Amino acid sequence: MENKNEIEQVEKSPSGFSIIWREIVRDKLALVSLIFLILITVFVYGVSIILDQDEIVTVDLFSIHEPPGEEFWLGTDYGGRDIFGQLIIGTRNSLSIGILVTLMTGIIGVVFGLVSGYFGGHIDNIMMRILDFFLILPFLMIVIVFVAIVPKYSIWTFSLIMTAFLWMGIARLIRSKALQEKELDYVQASKTLGSSNFKIMFTQVLPNITSLIIVTMTLNLAANIGLESGLSFLGFGFPESTPSLGTLLSYARNPQTLEYRWWIWVPASVLILLLMLSIRNVGEALKRATDARQRRG
Amino acid sequence: MTKTSLQKLLFAIMLVMLLALAACGGDDNESGDTDSDNDSTTEESEANEDGLFSIDDFSNIKSNEGEAIEGGSFTYGLVSDTAFEGTLNWNFYSGNPDAEVITWFDEALLTWDENYVYTNDGAATYEADGNTFTFTIRDNVNWHDGEPVTAEDWLFAHEVIGHPDYDGPRYGTDFTNIEGMEEYHAGEADTISGIEVVDEKTLKITYKEVTPSLVTGSIWTYPLAKHIFEDIPVADMSSSDAVRKNPIGFGPFKVETIVPGESVTYTKNEDYWRGEPKLDSVTLKVINPTVVVNELETGGVDTVSSFPVDQYPDNSDLSNVEFLGNVDRAFTYMGFKLGKWDGDAGKVVPDPNAKMANKNLRQAMWHAVDNSAVADNFYHGLRWNATTLIPPSHPEFHDESNPGREYDVDKANELLDEAGYVDTNDDGFREDPDGEELVINFASMSGGDTAEPIAQYYIQSWENVGLKVELVDGRLMEFNTFYDRVEADDPEIDIYQGAWGVGIDIDPRGLWGETAAYNYTRWTSEENESLLADGVSEEAFEVEYRQEVYKEWQELMVEEVPAFPTLYRSVVVPVNNRVHNYAIGDGTGIYLHELAVTQEEPIVAE
Repeated sequence: MENKNEIEQVEKSPSGFSIIWREIVRDKLALVSLIFLILITVFVYGVSIILDQDEIVTVDLFSIHEPPGEEFWLGTDYGGRDIFGQLIIGTRNSLSIGILVTLMTGIIGVVFGLVSGYFGGHIDNIMMRILDFFLILPFLMIVIVFVAIVPKYSIWTFSLIMTAFLWMGIARLIRSKALQEKELDYVQASKTLGSSNFKIMFTQVLPNITSLIIVTMTLNLAANIGLESGLSFLGFGFPESTPSLGTLLSYARNPQTLEYRWWIWVPASVLILLLMLSIRNVGEALKRATDARQRRG
Repeated sequence: MTKTSLQKLLFAIMLVMLLALAACGGDDNESGDTDSDNDSTTEESEANEDGLFSIDDFSNIKSNEGEAIEGGSFTYGLVSDTAFEGTLNWNFYSGNPDAEVITWFDEALLTWDENYVYTNDGAATYEADGNTFTFTIRDNVNWHDGEPVTAEDWLFAHEVIGHPDYDGPRYGTDFTNIEGMEEYHAGEADTISGIEVVDEKTLKITYKEVTPSLVTGSIWTYPLAKHIFEDIPVADMSSSDAVRKNPIGFGPFKVETIVPGESVTYTKNEDYWRGEPKLDSVTLKVINPTVVVNELETGGVDTVSSFPVDQYPDNSDLSNVEFLGNVDRAFTYMGFKLGKWDGDAGKVVPDPNAKMANKNLRQAMWHAVDNSAVADNFYHGLRWNATTLIPPSHPEFHDESNPGREYDVDKANELLDEAGYVDTNDDGFREDPDGEELVINFASMSGGDTAEPIAQYYIQSWENVGLKVELVDGRLMEFNTFYDRVEADDPEIDIYQGAWGVGIDIDPRGLWGETAAYNYTRWTSEENESLLADGVSEEAFEVEYRQEVYKEWQELMVEEVPAFPTLYRSVVVPVNNRVHNYAIGDGTGIYLHELAVTQEEPIVAE
């Protein structure tokens, strides 16, 4: 009896998370990126608890365009506002928007795609036409108009506007995966046993496509941060009283700032570059982890 | 007069300055002898110890170094984000960029001096006899095609603008002031009874009312070439080739080629009435505001129509240009919304219950802001603290002795306490006299690089005296939205920051009168009306009387504060060192035909 028990305990296939972890550790670049990301996030959210946003964006007439020094680590902008503080708050705002948008698009996209793919047929057809409708809308133009007509907007409203036009990609992906998945034996078996569609979808199919969701969402995160910065750079994101990486960048539209006052825009640019590269590196490692043929670990 | 953003404003101002180049008048104090080298008065301005510049250190006339060559060409940069429209005739154009283009090939018959009063130095002279003005065009004034400029042409311009089919923006009070014009416009008369062609070169115009405004810009002095336009129906004139493709004038240069919206090349008009121009050709090209400095550095342009003041401190030492400077005919102001516009009656209706109706509140808000600090720190002294609503660009009428309301936080607090604005619920902000929460909504324009911090600064300053001020919608408004909403008396707006370009005639009725749609504050009073009326009355031809009236009016405005001026402005224009005889501003006595260069190519920065 004892012998039998031992045999059963021996080999369990490695869990998804341990595969991911192994993959990241094996890829030094991804590991460094992940550590950098965690540090930045913890630092930015930690420090911004202490910093007072109102104080940072207070205009100080007597310290306009100060170069980096002891009082202002990264100098000041044309309103005498501390760049370092703006960078911290800006990174926090940009990250928050990126994460919020990614999560919200993720949730909508996964539910939409899963339902559509799982049921198939007419339901799938109708849902996909709705999705097509959203796809053909000129995203940037509508966002710009929205931003212009919504009187006051916060991180939440801005994220909602972006979410409304960014959930389609992930929904399509999940649908195609769900279409494949529902033909598999375990789904048929579960159906035969009388499980509800709801239960099959969310407790059986969903866990099987988690890896795909994680990978897509990670890569989306980088894109969303970029999108927010881009909109703010063009002046359709946050006003200057709510700094983000994009608003800091947009100072560089002034040729004088670009040429003579690097400290205003270089840190933000470098930070955007590093953030996006790191997220991508981690995302690539995750992607490999989900595909046994590409794994290194 | 028009509402305007900084950039459009600068265009507007430059237009008049260029006009003035072709105009004449008494010597400006600073100008001295313009034919000789006068380095002493035209050294480039140096910042003083505080890093501040002063417009007083600038000359508005280019110093002439070296020998001018025969001929040569000149490149003018029209600074604009957009293409120019291309309606190239004084009688039809509407955009200021177009005016910049026209200035080079056409000019006004009358010119004016530094006080903007018509002189007899231009292509025509005038004589006033009661309500009738007699104009005589000089014999040697000819159109570019050789035809003489005649009194008929001048009459024709009036007939076209007064025609019911005319689609341009010119027909207005300047024209209805002419006898018989309204009947002609209504189609009741075939001719304008108040205008009479005496002979080929002499014209008589009878005005209904003669005021000081008439001789400061209210006479239409741009003829329209009848031999070219007479066969074109009035409605089609503004889109005809004679306006769009082959424009004609009698100025110092002729239009050679036009690349629509982008550039224009001119060649000299050898038959120009003041004498043959020294330059062979002129090129005008549109350049984007962000590349102005690069274009200047590389010699891509000799000068530009406007130069962003905030770029000056970083570039004040550009080696290949000299900066000319002048006081701008414009100012920035903070307006309080105090009533409504009654469109049917065509006049403002002040509302005594408006949120800002309390005089103490308005006075306190003026005392609370430190405009000198704003001027020094954001504009390095190239804008400065404004005191009254008549800017120093009109030295005759600007009251130097009136200090306005100085920055004084204690005084502001005192005024507010006195009026009953006290903090009753300890939230750090004052409530209104009824104990209701007071939130003042502030509208300000985006555009211009410093708009945002300046608006924030004002909000902070008011917070310092306990007033809660918030930006409408929490952000700055785009230029057109801003004026649409201010004009429509949007109830969301309590105060707004605008800019105003004063016309060459000082008459403030255009912005502060009862019947002015541009009176965005919607404030007026009997005293205001009577002073403004006095300012353009018959007696006001007496300059001293008019000065006295406007002095009183400026005092009234400082007392009532329907709006307060924040900053006076200056214009700074860089000109390549190779250029001779160039000036900005009015009444300099320097004309475009004298413009010359010392070498073939513009000098490049070291």
